[in-house]
Parts: sequence; C-alpha cells; structure tokens
Amino acid sequence: MMLQQLLNGMALGMAYALIAVGYTLVFGILRLVNFSHGAVYAFGAHMVVFFIGMNFGLLPAVVFGILLSGLLGVLIDKIALNPLRKKKSPNISALITTIGVSYIIQNLLVLGFGSGRKSFPKLIETRSIMIGDAQITNIQLLMLVVSVVLFLSLTVLVKYTKIGLAMRAVEQHETNAALMGIPTSFIISFTFFLGGLTAAIASVLIGSHYEIVYPTMGMMIGLKAFSAAVLGGIGVFYGSIVGGLLIGLTEALAATWFGAEYRDSVAFIVLILVLILRPMGLFGKKGLNKV
Amino acid sequence: MSEKFTVDKIVIASIILLLLGLPLLGFSQYVMRIVILMGIYTILALGLNILVGYTGLVSLGHAGFFAIGAYGTAYFMIQHSVGFIVALTIGTLLSGFMGFVLGLPTIRLSGTYLSIVTLGFAMIVQVVIMNWDSVTNGTLGMSQIPKPNILGYDLNLANHGIYYLMLFLLGLVTLGCYTIIHSKIGRTLRAIKSDELATTMMGIHIDRYKILAFVLSASITGLAGGFYATLSSYIDHNSFGFDLSILILCMVILGGMGTIRGMYLGAALLIIFPEIARPLMSWRFVVYGFVLIIMMHFRPQGVLGWRSRRKYPIPGEVKKSYRMVEVEE
Amino acid sequence: MKKLRSVLSLILVASMVLALLSSCTAGADNDEDSPIKIAVAFPMTGDQAEYGQSFLLAAQIKVDEWNAKGGVLGRAIELVSYDDKNSSEEAATIAQKIVSTPDIVGVLGHFSSGVSMVAAPIYEENQVIEISNTASHPDYSSIGDYIFRNNAVISNEFEVIESLLTEDLKLSKVGIVAIKTDWGTTAGAIAADMIRNNDALTLVGHEEVVEGSDDYSLVIAKLKEAGAEAVISVGMYALIAPLARQYKAVDPDIQILGLSNSYAQQLIELGGEATEGIIFPVSFYSDPQNPEIKRFVDAYVESFGSEPSALAAQAYDSIGILLEAIKANGNLDRPSLRDTLNNITYPGITGETKFDAIGDATKNYTKLIVKDGNFVPYEN
Repeated sequence: MMLQQLLNGMALGMAYALIAVGYTLVFGILRLVNFSHGAVYAFGAHMVVFFIGMNFGLLPAVVFGILLSGLLGVLIDKIALNPLRKKKSPNISALITTIGVSYIIQNLLVLGFGSGRKSFPKLIETRSIMIGDAQITNIQLLMLVVSVVLFLSLTVLVKYTKIGLAMRAVEQHETNAALMGIPTSFIISFTFFLGGLTAAIASVLIGSHYEIVYPTMGMMIGLKAFSAAVLGGIGVFYGSIVGGLLIGLTEALAATWFGAEYRDSVAFIVLILVLILRPMGLFGKKGLNKV
Repeated sequence: MSEKFTVDKIVIASIILLLLGLPLLGFSQYVMRIVILMGIYTILALGLNILVGYTGLVSLGHAGFFAIGAYGTAYFMIQHSVGFIVALTIGTLLSGFMGFVLGLPTIRLSGTYLSIVTLGFAMIVQVVIMNWDSVTNGTLGMSQIPKPNILGYDLNLANHGIYYLMLFLLGLVTLGCYTIIHSKIGRTLRAIKSDELATTMMGIHIDRYKILAFVLSASITGLAGGFYATLSSYIDHNSFGFDLSILILCMVILGGMGTIRGMYLGAALLIIFPEIARPLMSWRFVVYGFVLIIMMHFRPQGVLGWRSRRKYPIPGEVKKSYRMVEVEE
Repeated sequence: MKKLRSVLSLILVASMVLALLSSCTAGADNDEDSPIKIAVAFPMTGDQAEYGQSFLLAAQIKVDEWNAKGGVLGRAIELVSYDDKNSSEEAATIAQKIVSTPDIVGVLGHFSSGVSMVAAPIYEENQVIEISNTASHPDYSSIGDYIFRNNAVISNEFEVIESLLTEDLKLSKVGIVAIKTDWGTTAGAIAADMIRNNDALTLVGHEEVVEGSDDYSLVIAKLKEAGAEAVISVGMYALIAPLARQYKAVDPDIQILGLSNSYAQQLIELGGEATEGIIFPVSFYSDPQNPEIKRFVDAYVESFGSEPSALAAQAYDSIGILLEAIKANGNLDRPSLRDTLNNITYPGITGETKFDAIGDATKNYTKLIVKDGNFVPYEN
C-alpha cells in the first residue's frame, strides 16, 4: 500500500505543480501574488465544458478554452492591474485587486453555470498502468509529462529567447527596461497571457482526471498550489515542481498515518517549517521584500 | 489648523453622542445586530492595522487569531463555567500568546513569505478546530455559549446591554491603539515600516518590536473573537476561513492603512454594503468584486489614506530632549 | 481639499446607513388583504447555492398550487427568499431580519445543521416557526418548541442499510467514507456504531474527508488494503459520485452504499457508469406511478431542467405541512399554530409525515439502485 500511496501523492503533487507554475511565473516577473489565478483555473475548465456543449469537438474546445483563459489573463492585467502600475500604487492594492477579480470571475461562473459540480469530459480513455501492486492511470502520467514539459518550455522561454530576456529585464527594473526600448506593458500582458494559459492547461488536465468542474474548484487547490510555489521558492520554475511534489507526498503520508482529515494542515505545517529553516523557500533567491 | 481641529472635535463628539444614544432611536434587533457587527469588525480592523498599517507586515491569517479568541472564551465559559470577563481575558491572552509564537518567524521571514506563513497558520487553526473534538467539539461547533453576565446583569440584544459592551470594548481598543501609536512603540513601528535597515542602525531591536506588534495585534483580534462568540452563541469552523482574513484586510486597506478613523469607515462600508445589496442576490459578490477593484483604482491608499501621510506631530518631551526647533505644521 | 474628502467620506457612510435603515422599515403591515408571508432562507450564492435555489423552487411550486386554489384563510401566500450563504453569521443576521418583519409566519431553512442551530434560538425567542428540510444534527429540533425538522433522523436510514448489508447483499467487511462536516461527523459515527454492534459486520475503516477536496485516492487505497467489500458514503452526490468513480477504477467489485440525500439526478450525470449498482434508502423518489409525485416532478423539471432531489421534495412537503396547519388552525396565532402543527398528520410525497414531541418527523424508506443509468427500486 505504501507504494500506492506514494504514487497517489505524486499524482496529487503534479496537480499542485501545474497550478503553481502560473503563480510563480507572474510572481517572478511582477513580484505580485496573483490571487485571481485559482479563478482563471476554474474559468478555463468551464470554458472547455461550454465549448464542448456548443459542439465544437473535443480538441478545438480545449484549445479555445485555453486560449480564452490566456486572454482573460491579459484582460485582468489591462483593465485592473495596469492602471495601478501606472499610478505606482502600493503593491498591496494590486493584491486586493486580484482578490476582487477572483470574486467577480467565480460568481459570474456561478451565475452562468450554477454552483453545482458538473462532469468534465475525458480527454483520453483512462487506462491503468501497474507498477508492482500499485497502479497509476495514464492521465496521471500525462499530468506528470505536461508539467515537466511546461516547466522546461517556460525555462527555455525565459532564459533563451528574446521575449524572455525582456521579461527578465522588466523583472529587474521596469523603468530602465522601458528606457532600453522594451515595450514593458506588452511584456507584462504577455506574462499574464502565459499565466492564464498555464492555469487553463492545469484545469483541463486535473478536470479530466477527476472528471469534475465547479466554480470554486480553484479555491483550496489554488491555495495549496500557492504554498507549493512558495515552498519551492516562488519565482523559480523547478522549485514549483519540487514544492508541489513535496506537498503532495506529505499529504499522502499524513492521510495514511493520521487520517485524511489532517492532510490539509500537514501541508501547511511542512510549509512553515521549511520557511523557518530556509526563509526564501527551497530554491528561492534572496532579496524579495514586496508583497 | 486650529479651526480644523475644532471641526474634528465637534464631529468626533457628535459621533460619540450618536453612538451612545443609538438604542434610544428604537431600531429593530436586526439593525442593532448589524451595528454590533460593525463594532466587532472595527476592532478587528484596528488590530490588523497595527501590523499592516503601522509596521508594514501583511497578515493573511487573522481569522486564526479571531478563532482562538472565540474558542478560548467559549471553552472556558462552557467547560469551566467561569464568568464572561475572566473567559474573555483568557481568550485574549491565548490569542496574544499565539501572536507571540507566530511573531517569532518574523525574525527570519519577510514580505510574501511572512504572509504565506500567516495564511498557513490560519489554515492549521481551522483544521485543529475541526479535529480537536474534546475542546472544540469538532465540526459540530460550540453551541449555547452563554450571553455575557456582568455584575448579575444579563447583557443581550433586547436590553441593549451587548451593544453597550461592544461600545465599551471598541472605545477601549480605540484608546489603546491611539496611545500605542503615539508612544515610543508606535514611532518605532512606523520607523520599521518605512526603513528596516535605518531603524536597526538607530540601535533598535526591530525583531522585538515586530513580535510585540504581532502580540498586540493578535490580542486585539482575540478580544473581538471572544466577544463575537458570546454575541452569536454558536461558533463553528466555517466562520473562521480565509475569506474572513481577506475581509479584515480589505477593511484596513479600504479605510486607509495607518489611520484609526479609517478602520471605522472601512468596517462600516464593508459590513453595510452586503446588507443593502441583498436584493441583488447572486450578483452581490460580482458587485462586491467591482467595488474592491474600483476602490483600489481610485483610492489605493484607502478612503482616509491621506491622514496616514500627515506630518507626525512630534511630542513635547521629544522636542525638548532633542532641543529641536519648533516645526511649522 | 482634505476637509472636502472627509466630508465626502462622511456623506458616503451616512448615505449607506440611511439606505440600510430604509431597507428594513418598509413593510410591516399585517392587514387582512396582504399576503401571508413565509421566509425561505438558504444559501442562494456560493458553493451550496444549487441546493438553496432548488429548495426555493420546490417551495414555490407548493405555494403556487395553494394560491391557484385561492390561498389560505382567504389570503394569498408569498415566499420571501433570503440568502444565508451557508454561513452562521449571515444566518443570525437574516434570522434577526426575519423576526423583525412581523407578517412572516414561518421559515423554511436553513441548509446545514450548524447554520440552522445559530438561527433557531432567534426564531424560538420570537415565536416564529422554523422547519428545516435538511438539518440532521441530533440536538437541532430540541432547541425549542417552534423548531421542526422534516428530514430523516439518520439512525433510521442506517437500519435500512444494515439489513441491506446483512440480509440482501451478505457482505461483512464495511468501510465508511464520511464528509467532515457537522452532519457527516455525526452520521459517520452513528454508522460506525451500527456496524460495531452487529456481529455479522466488521468495520474495516472509518475515513473522514474534507469538503472540496476532490481527490479520494488516499482513503481509497487505505480501505482497499483493509479489504473492504462495501463502502458507505456519508455525503451528498458531490461525494459519492467522484468516490464511486475513483474507487471503481481501483476495485471494480466494490459495493457502494449511499444515504437518502445522495438521491439526485446529478449523481448519475457526474458519476457516469461508475454509479451503476449504488444502493441507498430514500423517503422519496420520482415514481411515475404516483400522480401527486408526477405533478410535482413535472412542474419542477419544467423550471429547473433536472429532477428534484429527496431534499427538494422535503422542502415541498414542509411548506405543505405549514400551510395545512395554518388552514386547520384557522388563524395565525403563533402558539396555537405551533400546537396544530405538532398534531397534524400530513400525507406528503415523501410519505406520511407527523412531528413528534420534540419536532422530528419519522419517515418510511424504500431502497433504490442505479441500473442502466436510472434509479429503480431495489429488489433482491
């Protein structure tokens, strides 16, 4: 059973990692905790269900849903956050704004789709793969592959492309970047676009694993993913994956030894202990002071 | 300057008079309950303000302290049948102690990392409440918490006793905050907010002051929690979630960080808004989200935020000891 | 400028206070022509909004039926809906608002036991009848004389499950997965006691899961390891559907048992094939043979798009009982209305309902099984 539980924990951890990547991306560039990420996550899954309902076919529906979530990310930035940056308002007002945005998205989803749980279509036929006595499904493996691919491509994008260079420049100093001729507001919007994309990719995969969608689906998992990002060192992509896995595995062990009702707290206890020992997270860089 | 000062005084005096006489105006219990809730949330905002507004530490977990105060008070009132005042004191102290414990990591942590620790703390408190059946009664919650009884008088909504108790606590906390802010502690906290390094260079142990800020903030929040427990007579883990922490933070920011009267305004706005928006039904929280965004857009420093940027009136004894030249204000 | 700002903010607060005051002074007339009002207080927004909205609809259908026949005591009936967000703080505020409105006779609500128990003392104090179609906490109905429950008392349901396990299915190793809420904890403990006290049954695991976490793989692995043959799911359809899906993927032979509140069309929609063979006791199901039930179900499906749950049917009946009691009592005098309500026997669509001394209703159960994507009566 232990092996099975470790596999379960790993699969859970991959789900957290997928969402954590989006938190880390926006935080890495803007130093902003984007609380609307969980809501965009729910939005993506609902859009896919909506497009399938409109007879778009599975693949186009998934692509449209993911792109639309990316656009929602841009929209959030353009309408709500960009004006704040222009006015150089304190970082905390941006944080409150993202909370306001998540209220709006979540409740609009409730109005449009109802608060109940709805079934999410399977992306691929589920198959079980046996490893010894333990089994893992092909969707769980797909989650693992996608999050590694996502992390690799984001790393390549940020480190080795021109737009990535611009993103890092914006991170270093927005005004200076603008003076060097970098279209900073485009770069920031692009970051939010990527953030929206990753949220929707996560929700499509996780949704098709559990076959459930509902408007508040991003709440608890979003908070845990956020903790995973912080645990790994927020702003560092591979940190999110390690953080996600760590939290997933700890939950699995806690559920096995103490009972499932304790799993939510154990994740946070580990988080706090790690932060006290390593204040910047496992792989974080020093010198982040903003909220 | 002097003219504005008197205007201020008149406004404050008339508000105090209005608050004292409110029960005489014959409002329904529903309205009185809303007013009392506003009072509780003002206390909560004042408590959080010490951290967020003055020291510059953002807590996303004040629901945890609120819960500890509420459960502490309720537990001692029910299980050990001690009086309200003693139980409330124990609840406040417990919460203050947890503030001390949670303040310890601030020595090493700052910024987002500290905020996430507070968030995690509140989550853990909630899980402990759900599972520690022998003390918290688990998910069933604690019911039939007695109404406060002071000197043999039962205080409840109908005889307005609980309203005046709220006023008393609110006044106490407001005065306390005012005194702290205008003391050496307050000046140090503000110094920490504006520049930690410079403050250290002045020879101030900033760690001690940050922990002190946590303890003060947590105690005030716990006090509000204890009072809330007796007001509602039933508490369960659902009342102390992440949304509550965020609500208190929104009040502080909306009203204007680093001001005292801003907390009254922030609490009043965010408690009244959902009430008058009831007819909107499902649209209520969409509108609420828009209100937050629009407020942040037009007044990111809060409705009364300009007050926190007023020149700090330097107290007489400080002026004397440093032989400073009178500063024109 | 500064002065202007402070004046402006004062005006802002003052106008909001005024709006608050004006919103609650309206109404309060109680003359013969005005309608009789009944409050419906449930979560209408947030996570549990689907329940509140479905109960409101079910209640409205009953009220429409009565209004079509000319109302009660010659007056029309009107429902006033309130949103308690399933939060005890909101519920207390709403309860104060309801009791401050003198022409509201009774309340249908609230959703969860915890929330109902915050509001109940306020209703009791002000002699407003509260009927909950969902609360199941053992202490709820004993809060006061005006507090009634038209929902299963959970131990009766477990007797049905017990006989199902020992006599029909002949399975002995039983696991429990309960949702970690006030209701789930209580019901789960009762189920565990039932299994422990029966020599033919062995309790192989009692796991509690937190609402809103959709991953049950961790508890499933534990129960499977312990050799569970049957699992009792103590939760709504939102628990049993994903649980069945995830369990069947690991152990296709598992027998999953539910409780009456897992009876909802969404169970099959959400769980798909994995729900085949789930058995549970119900006090109500949409039996096309029964004209009363058919009329309600048709009206419900027409407005809601899906079939009513057992809880919605109890909401429908609860309003029916209250109106019947008002009619039998002949006036709206609160104490005598309460006594009438206590003595009435009401033939509803969820079976014959009569409140006992503390305000609980006893129910009769039939067993349902999911077969080929439909709910059908279970026969061994």
